[in-house]
Amino acid sequence: MLEIKCPHCGSRSQNEFSYGGDSSVKRPELGKEVPDKDWDDFIYFRNNPRGKHSELWHHVAGCRQWFKVLRDTSTHEIFKTAKLTEEL
Amino acid sequence: MTAKTVTSLEYIHKKGHFGNYQKQNVKNLLQISEVKNLTIIQLVQYKKSKIQTSTIKVEDLDLPLESLKVTANKETRVLWNAPRTWLIISNKKNIINNIKDKCDHSNFAVTDISHSRAVIQIKGLQAKEVLKKGCPININEIQVNNCAGTVFNGITVVVDFVNNNPDTFNLLALRSFSETFYHHITDAALEFGYAGI
Repeated sequence: MLEIKCPHCGSRSQNEFSYGGDSSVKRPELGKEVPDKDWDDFIYFRNNPRGKHSELWHHVAGCRQWFKVLRDTSTHEIFKTAKLTEEL
Repeated sequence: MTAKTVTSLEYIHKKGHFGNYQKQNVKNLLQISEVKNLTIIQLVQYKKSKIQTSTIKVEDLDLPLESLKVTANKETRVLWNAPRTWLIISNKKNIINNIKDKCDHSNFAVTDISHSRAVIQIKGLQAKEVLKKGCPININEIQVNNCAGTVFNGITVVVDFVNNNPDTFNLLALRSFSETFYHHITDAALEFGYAGI
């Protein structure tokens, strides 16, 4: 079980949170012609690194805010958490 | 003719003594009750709003700006729920009009959620022990006039620490989960014995 530090509420147990995927993925710009490959990359393709990974998490049972987490996918060590408006 | 309000635990909550109560001093027995007739208002400040919330008072109470914090008087409690989001719980019926006067609709969303929540109160020396069975937060660190959004056996709840003499917690759960939640709480309390009141 992970202990995750929500930037708003403090350290809480993992079962209050929901995983939201890779936080480095950027949506193609609105209102522009987007090639199919860019859409495919945005929707389907993800890196699967062994080691440090920047992720989105949602504090579902607490403040219901999304935030960023820098986590090691092999050891599960959490290095840092940050609000969406902040840099990891 | 006025319609009778049926609370979520109206036909579920049982009164009497249950569990391991015979070995306990009746005066110190854990008490479990449904708190009825509360007005629960969710107050959300819009992201575009530039108003300083530190200048706003609801029923002479500040809006708490830190997590876990609650401001309270005899009738009303203002709970920090999330950034720019508060729960206002009151015995007053018409409090929503007072809140709308203080928090104008161009800056705040004011929503009456009184009928969408079930409120169970647990009171007694073992109240913390009951919560520890299902909540992953460190209950020992919570102090009077603190609150926390968390889970109890997987059910999303808001825990509001109302009093410490004896320990009294109000637990707010979504109305649709109220029956399951009630059974989880009463199951956890059987070990200590409890009085349903």
